[in-house]
Formats: sequence, C-alpha cells, structure tokens
Amino acid sequence: MTGHQPLQPRALVMSRRGLLGGMGALALGVALSPRISLAQATGQAPADTPNPLEAILELRPDGTVFLQMPYVEGGQATSTAMAQLVGEELDLDPAMFTVECAPPLPAYVVPGTRRTTGGSSSVRRSYMPMRKLGATARAMLIQAAAARLAVPGAELATEPGRVIHPSSGRSLGYGELARAAAELPVPATPELRSPEQFRWIGKPVARIDGRDKSTGRTRYSIDVSMEGMLLASVKHAPRLGMQVRRLLNEDAVRAMRGVHSVHALAGCVAVVADRWWRANRAVEALQVEWSEAAEPGRFVMRADFSTAKAREEMRTADGPRYNAEDIGDAEGVLAAADKVVEAVYDVPFVSHAQIEPPSATASWNDAEGTLEIWLPNQAPDRFIKMISDASGIDPSKITLHSPTLGGFFGRHFVYPHSSPFPQAVALTRAVGRPVKLIWSREQEFLRDAPRPLGMARMRASIGADGMPTALKIEAVCDSLVASMGAAREAADPTAVEGLAERVYQFKNRKVDHIAYRYPVVVGALRSVGHSLNDFFMESFVDEMADAGGIDPLEWRRRMVSDSARHLALLDHVVEMSGGWRRGPYTAGDGTKRARGIAMASPFGSETATIAEVSIRDGEVQVHDIWTVIDPGRIVNPTSVRMQMQGGTALGLSLLLSEGLEFEHGKAVARNYDGYPMMAPYRMPRVHVGIIESGAEMGGVGEIGVPGGMSAAANAVARLSGERPRSLPLSKTRFAAGA
Amino acid sequence: MKTALRVFAILCLLIAAGVWVATRTPSSPFDGRPASAEISIEKGAYAARLADCVACHTAEGGAPFAGGLAMAVPMLGAIYSTNITSDKLTGVGDWTLAEFDNAVRRGVGRDGRRLYPAMPYPSYAKMDDAEVEQLYAYFTRHVDPVAAPNRPSEIPAPMNTRWPLAFWNAVFSPDKPYTPDTSKSDAWNRGAYLVQGPGHCGSCHTPRGVAMQEQSLDESSDAYLSGALLDGWYAPSLRGDPGIGLADWSEDDIVAYLRDGRNRHGVVFGSMLEAFNNSTQFMTDADLSAMAVYLKSLGPSSQNRRTIVTYDRADILRPADDAGAWIYATRCATCHGADGKGRAPSIPPLAGVSSMLADSPESAINVTLNGGGRLVKGGLPDLYRMPQMRASLTDAEIAQVLTYARGAWGNTGGAVDPKKVRELRNTTDPASSEVIILQMR
Amino acid sequence: MKLIVNGEQHELDIEQDAPLLWVIREELGLTGTKYGCGLAQCGACTVLVDGMAVRSCVTPVSSVDGASITTIEAVEQDEVGARVVEAWVRHQVPQCGYCQSGQVMAATALFKQNMNPDETDVQVAMTNYCRCGTYNAISEAIASIKEA
Repeated sequence: MTGHQPLQPRALVMSRRGLLGGMGALALGVALSPRISLAQATGQAPADTPNPLEAILELRPDGTVFLQMPYVEGGQATSTAMAQLVGEELDLDPAMFTVECAPPLPAYVVPGTRRTTGGSSSVRRSYMPMRKLGATARAMLIQAAAARLAVPGAELATEPGRVIHPSSGRSLGYGELARAAAELPVPATPELRSPEQFRWIGKPVARIDGRDKSTGRTRYSIDVSMEGMLLASVKHAPRLGMQVRRLLNEDAVRAMRGVHSVHALAGCVAVVADRWWRANRAVEALQVEWSEAAEPGRFVMRADFSTAKAREEMRTADGPRYNAEDIGDAEGVLAAADKVVEAVYDVPFVSHAQIEPPSATASWNDAEGTLEIWLPNQAPDRFIKMISDASGIDPSKITLHSPTLGGFFGRHFVYPHSSPFPQAVALTRAVGRPVKLIWSREQEFLRDAPRPLGMARMRASIGADGMPTALKIEAVCDSLVASMGAAREAADPTAVEGLAERVYQFKNRKVDHIAYRYPVVVGALRSVGHSLNDFFMESFVDEMADAGGIDPLEWRRRMVSDSARHLALLDHVVEMSGGWRRGPYTAGDGTKRARGIAMASPFGSETATIAEVSIRDGEVQVHDIWTVIDPGRIVNPTSVRMQMQGGTALGLSLLLSEGLEFEHGKAVARNYDGYPMMAPYRMPRVHVGIIESGAEMGGVGEIGVPGGMSAAANAVARLSGERPRSLPLSKTRFAAGA
Repeated sequence: MKTALRVFAILCLLIAAGVWVATRTPSSPFDGRPASAEISIEKGAYAARLADCVACHTAEGGAPFAGGLAMAVPMLGAIYSTNITSDKLTGVGDWTLAEFDNAVRRGVGRDGRRLYPAMPYPSYAKMDDAEVEQLYAYFTRHVDPVAAPNRPSEIPAPMNTRWPLAFWNAVFSPDKPYTPDTSKSDAWNRGAYLVQGPGHCGSCHTPRGVAMQEQSLDESSDAYLSGALLDGWYAPSLRGDPGIGLADWSEDDIVAYLRDGRNRHGVVFGSMLEAFNNSTQFMTDADLSAMAVYLKSLGPSSQNRRTIVTYDRADILRPADDAGAWIYATRCATCHGADGKGRAPSIPPLAGVSSMLADSPESAINVTLNGGGRLVKGGLPDLYRMPQMRASLTDAEIAQVLTYARGAWGNTGGAVDPKKVRELRNTTDPASSEVIILQMR
Repeated sequence: MKLIVNGEQHELDIEQDAPLLWVIREELGLTGTKYGCGLAQCGACTVLVDGMAVRSCVTPVSSVDGASITTIEAVEQDEVGARVVEAWVRHQVPQCGYCQSGQVMAATALFKQNMNPDETDVQVAMTNYCRCGTYNAISEAIASIKEA
C-alpha cells in the first residue's frame, strides 16, 4: 500500500446505529418514530411528561436497554447513576443498561433536567425526573402486557426485565412489549417506589462502563473513524488574535509523504493528511509568518503579558470593584480594631490537562447540505447552536454526537477559541471528505481555557476572646462568566464562591470581587471558584485562629455552632482520623508530621477534611486524608467515594505542583513536561466518610477538590512554621518541622 | 561561533588596562580587485552553510541574515549580530570584496573597528580566497536586502573599547589561509580545511586559554578539539579518545551524525543541534567523509583522562536502594531503557556516551533541565525529543539521577553536585518545543 | 517491515521512525491504546513489547521489528493481564477511563515480572498519570492481585 491511500481502520464507525447494527434491536428510537421526526421538524417542545419509550429508552429483545441521557459521561459515573435511577423504577438491573448522551433534540428532553453537564448537578437534578421516567415506562409496559395477555393491569407485576402474571405464571420480556407500549398514552403520575424498597439506588452498584474502560473498548471522540476520513493537525498562532500572513514553505510541506493539503484558517494553519502523525509532523514543519491582530480586543493576547507582571498588578488592583456580600460593618470594626490579621494569597492559572486531547471529526455532505460532527463537549444544545452560528448551517442540518469524554473537569464548556470544531468544519468543507482533527498536546496547551489566576487580600480583626470580630476579603481575578460571554457588571459568583456566604458565623463581613482583566480566555476547572477560594479562606481561618490563640478545630466548632449538620461533619472526620491531633508529632516511621483541618461547602454539599503531612528534603509529603461529605442523600456510595478521592487528587496536585505561567504573551508550558501534575506515588490514602443527613441533595463530582488541599496546606503551615500563601508549594522549600 | 563569548569578559577587563595596538586596516589579497560576477547562488549558499552564517546572523522570526540575534557576554551585557544582507545602507551590499574579506578572515569591520570574536574569524582566517568570494557573492548579490540597522552592543564604556582586540588578533588569529599538508591525502586535507576553517569546530570543541583564545587551531597540539565547556554545554572531544571522544566511532558513524543528526551512539543536542540543523546536514557526503577522515586521524589527547568503557549491566542499582536509580526508573527508563541502551538512532543510549563519561557534567545537566530542541532534517522535524525536567525535578533530584546514570552500565562520569544543577537552572532556559527553521533566503 | 501485534503478523510499508502508537491506532485500527502527550509523560499509550511496558508514543516502529507487541485489546488473552483486568473491574478503578488502557498494561507488565512486587516495584511501574485521580483505586486493585 502507499502512504496516500489510508487503510480502512478496523475500528467501528462510531455511530449509535452503527453500534446497534446487527443486534436485531427492537428499536423504538429516533428513526422509527414518526412523532420524533415531527418534533424535530417543527422544533416543537414535547409534553411535560415525555414518552420514554419513544426516544430516550430503547428496550431490546435481549433484555438490555439503551438509554439516551441528557448528560455526558466523562468519568463522574453519571451514566451509572442514571441506570440506577431509571432501573430502580423501571425494574431493570442497572447492569443491563447502555447509556449515552442524547442528541441535542427536543425529543430527548427530560423535564426537570438540564442539557449542560457541570456544576455537579446531573444526579441531583435528575433524581426525581429520571425515576419518573423509569416508572412511566414500567406503567406503559404493564399496560401493554395487560392488553397482550388479556388480563387486568392490576393483576400484573414486574420482575427485573419482565412483566409477570403471577396467577398464570405467564410473563413477557420488556423487549417484546416495547413497540406496543410506545403507542400507548403516557400516564401522568406513575407510582414511585418508596426508598425502603430501593434495590439499586443508594447501593454500591458497579459502574456500568467499568469493564469496557478496563479493556480499551470505550470509544472516545479521538477514536471516531469514518469511511474515507482524512486526518488533520493544526498549529495555532503563538498568541490569540494573531493571524496567518504568509506560509514560507507550503510547497515543501505539501510534498511530504501522506500530506493531502495545507490550509490557512482563522488563527491557525492546518495540514490534512492520510495519517495523523504525518499531518502533525507536517504542520509542525510549516513555517508561518504571523501578523498581529488587526485591532485590540478582549482576547487579543498582548506580547507584553506575563503572569509575573499580572500578579504584581493584582496586589494593588482596585477596580472595577463589585460587592458580593456585606453584613454588619466590617470596615468600621476593622478600622477600630486593636488586633488585625492580614494576608495576601495567590494561585496560578491551571490547565485542565485532561488526558484526552480535544478532537473533532466532521463530515460535510455538500449535496444534502448536512454536517455530522463528533465533538467532546459538555453542553450539546449550546454547542449545536455555536456550530450553527459559526458555520451558517441550520441546526436541523447538523448531527452532533457527544461521545464519552476522556476526562473534562470543565474543559469542554463553551469557551471562545477553545474548541476544535470551527477548524474541523472548515476542513471537511474544504476537502470534501470527513476530517478528524486532533489537537496535539502542545496545541491544547496553547488554547485550553485555564482556571483563573487568582488572589485574595484578607483582613480580619481579632477580639479579646481570640475570635474574629470582622472579616474583609478582596478577591482579585478575572470574571469567568464574562470570559464565557456574559456581560456582567456585578460580582462574578464563581469569583467569590468559597469566600462569600460561608457557613462561618462572622457578624461583620464584607466580600468584594475586584475584576482584574487579563487577556486570557479563562475556564471553569473542577470545583471552579472553590479550587482557589476555599484554599484562601481555610488558610486564613487558621491564621485567624492562630492569632487568637484558638485551636483551629475549636475555632471552626465555635463558628458553626448553630449548625448541627456541620458539627456532625466535624465530629465524624475527627473520629475517622482517630481523634484530633494537630502536631507536630513523630510518626511510627520517625518522620515528623502535623495535621490540618478544613471545611468546604461546594455545590450544595458539605465537607470536613483532615490531612496529615510530613516534609522530606524541603518537599511536602501528604500521607493521609480523611474527608467526610454530606451531600444530603446519595445514589451510589462507591461513586461518591471515587469522586471524593479523585477530586482530592486534583486538589492536591494544584496545591503541590501545578501552575501555568505566561511570558511575552505565551504560555510557557506546552506539554506535561513543563506542567508537572502530582506524580502517582505522591498520592495519599484518601479515607472517605459519607453522611446522608437528608438535606437537599448536593453535588458529588467536584466536591473533593477544595478540602484535602486546604487541610494539607494548614498542616504544612503547622509543621514548617511557614504559612503557604502562594501556590504551588513546589516553589518553596519547607523547613522540616518545628 | 556565537558562543565564544567569555572572550570578551576577560579580554575587556584586560584591555581596560590600556594596551596599545595599531588600528590600521589590514591588507587583503582582494585589495583593489573587483569581485567575480561568475559565482552561482548554489556555490555561495553552500559556502554559507559550511560556515553556518545563518545561525548567528538570523534572529528567530527575523528576516534571513538581517542580524539582531542577542548574545550575552558574561558580566557585561549583550551584543547583537549584524545585518549581512545585500542592503546597501544597513547591510553589506555596498562593501568591497576586500572589506568583506577583512571582516570575515581578519575580524576588522569596514570602519576599521575590530569585531568581537563571537564572529569566529580566527577559524574563518583559514578559508581560502575562493570561499570568501563565494560568500561575498552570496551575501551581496543573492541575499535579499533588508533594511535593519545594526543594534549597538549593550556593553558599557570603557569596556566597549574594541581597538585592543587587534592585539589579541595579532597573537591568536592566523594570518594566512589553510595550507595543505602534502604528506596527507586529499580527503584528509579537505577535511582539515573544513574542520579548522569554515566549520569552525574548534570554537566549541577546543579548550580555551587564559585569554579565552582557542588553545590550538590545528592538529599541531593535542589540545585541539579535545573537548571544552562553553555556555553551559560540554562539547566533547572529537579526537581518538575512548568513550569521551570518537575512538569508538567509525567514519560512517561520523558521517551519519553530521548528515542525519543521529547514529547508533547518539543524537545531536545542545549547540550541536543548531550546527546540525543549520549547517552540517547540508554538506555533501564527500565533504562529510573528508571531515570524518580528518577527525579519525586525531589521536587521543594527553589532556584527557583515559576513559575505557566496558558495558556492565551489573552496575544497575535497585530503585529501592538508590534515589537516583529510582528517579531513573520512573522518569528516564521508558525511553533510554533500564539497560541504558536507548532506541538508537531515534533515542540515544546513555551507556558509554560522552555526556555520561566526561568530567564536566554540564551537558548532561543542561539537557536534563531543559530538554532537547527540535532536530529538523531536510525540513522534517524529529518525532522524538527529550522532555524538560526543570519543572518536575528538584536540583537534588537531577543531581541524583545523573549521578546514577553517570555511574551505571560501566559509565565513569562521576557524581553531580546539586549546586551545579542550580547554577545551570538559573543561567539557562528550556529548549523550545517548536520547530525552528532558519531560512537562508 | 513486519510487526507482530497481539499474535498477528502485519506487513507494513511505513517510515522507519513512525511512532508505534500511531501504527497501532491508524494502520491496525486498534484504538484502545491512547494518545495523551506524545512525549512519554502521561503513559496513556503504554503497550507491552516482549512483556515489558513501553510507551508507544516514543517507540519508533523500527525498534520493535520482530518483537511481540501486546495491546489492551488482547490483554485478557494473557493470564496475568486477565487477572489485572478482573481486579480493575472489581475495584471499580476507571472513571473517565481514558488512561486506563495504559494503567492496565503497566500493571500487567509489573505482575508479569514479579507476582509479589514490593512498594518500590509498584511505584516504579505505576507512573502513568490519571487526571481523574483513580490512584487509590489502582493501589487497591494492585494490592488485591498481590494477595490473590
């Protein structure tokens, strides 16, 4: 074979129908339902209670189910939770479910749920809607069975996957009933199980995707393959806003083995080839003369931008200033106070660094004017609109697939200039064949929307009893929501979450957001504002406690004394960790260790965390983390534990080693070698406690991030006598202990 | 070579004492002679490749040969390479052949001012007249004019006084072109000419004396090409020294290294990467073979420790017992192999290579801290490059892992001091992961 | 060039220095082996070459000419690999799963060399990044294989 004729890879073409092909599915999916086509064509919203058997649930003869959920699975185990919620009420073992993200079409809307995967909201928002969906389907299956067996519905019951008629011993599989059931009217109020009867909700049900993901069978966007597909790689302008002026060696690059074509696109150049690695090598070889942006703009990166300079300016930045919380008279009390504690903290930009690089596979059908596209994204209905806006193709002519994400952590929201779809669409239109574009890791580092660089300027007054009398916080960072396109003349909630509206009962408190603008498109990282603000707040809590001579656990107990829920969390974590001992003390292995404690209230859940650290050769070692989460109520304790451990790992990585610096307007790190994440061997044991207090359900996926890192920072301060105020800690060599 | 810079630091201090040397313009064989109009662009370009003019006279992202590349002079500031395009006002377009010759071979500018020997005129002095004419033709006729005024150096007065360099030149710079040794083969003579003259290999590979002059400019002393430390890189011996030199390299190995940037012993890195990217890969096989013949004729240097390397797998320490071995196993072994043998020629071995054997650990430290730049052969970038470790390993850890690697598999490079790592960390920058191709036109 | 992948021999006309990762993914269509960084930093591309863990993104295909390559698609055909997969499933290791092919291959190589690895052996073998932070679950899975 020659390099110019791509092999047809053996990988399955990744479409739902393709995956189902040959399974003999009794599909009640999109293609078979005239009503869906109607809804599609008219853009008509479905009724309040959707017919689950029409588009959302596909019951197959083999007893398995294909569920198209409103969310994207990216590791957070939402698909398993959906299988549990629907399965519980449908009466079907969650293991029988295959779950994928539904297309962004009205027919798949489950009322009460959102189409955006984020904010740790998927499970809590769909707890009731998805149960109702399952119960509705079950009621319709029973009704269909009643007709088929010619018995009253009341005589029928279900066992997992079957409708049974106990008195006659007859039974029918769900798959056999699906077609008939789909034609029945949708019952308005299906009966739900009572929680005592739950077999799967609240139980450690195994992840439904665990085996596929342990054997490489799960297909991500990057694995998509289409007939006749070409591969593409891009080279982004070194600074956002710059454009291609001239290609110096286009002919030489076009002559390289496997190269199909060379393209100058908006803000980048692209090479299309028969293999990705050839496209990538060719685009790296392409010599480009870039021109500066024609005019300044919000996201035109300046050649003189540097994080070092930004940090300097942020120390004294004064506006625009937006108040987020103002209770009592913090300024007045502080002005009159005898004893004031002050501190300035800062954290760097951080990359999402999800291991799957962004890709987009686009196929433009010129004759039909249709576009099919596979794209990692966590908001399909917003992306289809963006794709339409950017390409001028009507949404009804766009098929958007949202495959399982190889990690996201907030990476795949709608940030300007951060998704590969515009390039992929331009390329498939230019070459008239399907194109899979993959961003190399280097190109991803140039266009990821990093978590904001942030600073907090904190002041507190301490009363005679050692407890604080007033607290004033100035949170200095760019506005994330503004970066995502919302014009905003108010405090950005993501800039102050974790600082404002904390559970601690300060009588006088004031929190301002100082919106310092930098020319970087910033994004939401797992736990968003909590990933920086809880570190600021919980560190300063210890500073206030130390200034007042109060033990930090005792300080927190006093400041949450009105809340039984929070006191219970503290008691639980103290007990789990074998009793509160702040240290320093000498551990069994001879190392000197200390512990720190922190609380956090992200996304409707509550946590308390204790960390134990030591210091070796000036470097922080975290040994154990005990963390307790109270999300009110849970669906899967295993998932909760895993998410808490994973979130803790990310938080510790932010604490210990991560930071994206800019010099001369360019990100310094272009690959993981310049952006060290916490090495696996540095991962502490994370012991997770769960409290189901029955409070309104909170989130789970992002909750682990702030607690462990903040508690560990407090432990480091205790052990070394040096308060870490600037992350990551790898910048500092710490003393081995007092 | 742009890196021959310590020269000025010491030199300028010396000259501050005020030694008088004539400031006259030297004579050139081309005095009063018009330049030939017959020289082809190919010949001129080849001469410019041999002498690697582009490496210094083109700044990254700048127009070819318009100068402006900054070179730091220790303790004094930066100097900038000059515009050698055909621009009549700011380049050399208006220069006579004799003026051009005086700059290239004698280090004297058109205005009579002495050039800083960052310009390797002590080597170029050995170029023959024809080569100089080819360069002249190329730069004054074939290279597009670019109006770019030369940037003055940042070296403050009185250290910026340049006339005393004439004195240095009189002592250290040859006054006549290469003279063939009739007792040797044509290939040897061609190789000697290329290595000593336009190739200016000694700029990096020959140790320097008290005045920062190269200790020898030819094979008459065994200090010549015996290995030297410059700008944070240790340029190894190109002589017949075992281990640290070319004793174990065949002529074919040398040719492959200079033509492909890689062979079974190693892959170009550091300053040699630039020399390969911009110069040696463009040389003809005949010229590369000639250089190999000449280099293989140089015996071991009496200045070098005899480094006999016997590959020994038994030297491998257990990660459990040694911090360096632990870091090697987790950070290095996936590419360079637990056995230190790498995946030559794509990924170099570490067993028995000069950076792991030389007394100077600088090259090993530098490439570990900063990673490798991009090797570009015939316009095609490499697929495998050395990552930087400065962000993920501490000074102590880099010292540990290199101490391990310089002692494993029979290597005898010796321990690495964390202080040396810190020093280099503070004075070097990470290599760019971007592909940099300096076009000549 | 002859390449033996998962016991099957393939005849390839490809550049000597082509990265094994892309040969596996694009020539053979085996997409279980993942691209993460192309720089041997993350380990998502780990495969076995003659039973040893190798990061295929930095492995020129010519260097494994004639060697026996195992990818995640065939890991369960290996007795040790099958045990690793079972432990991964039982301990619910994967979250997003993208790095897990590489993690499973790294663990398989570890146990193929030594069924009773000590802490250092595990630390040295298990260096692949997991951005979801499944490290605790990986440790548990590995501990369970040891005890088994």
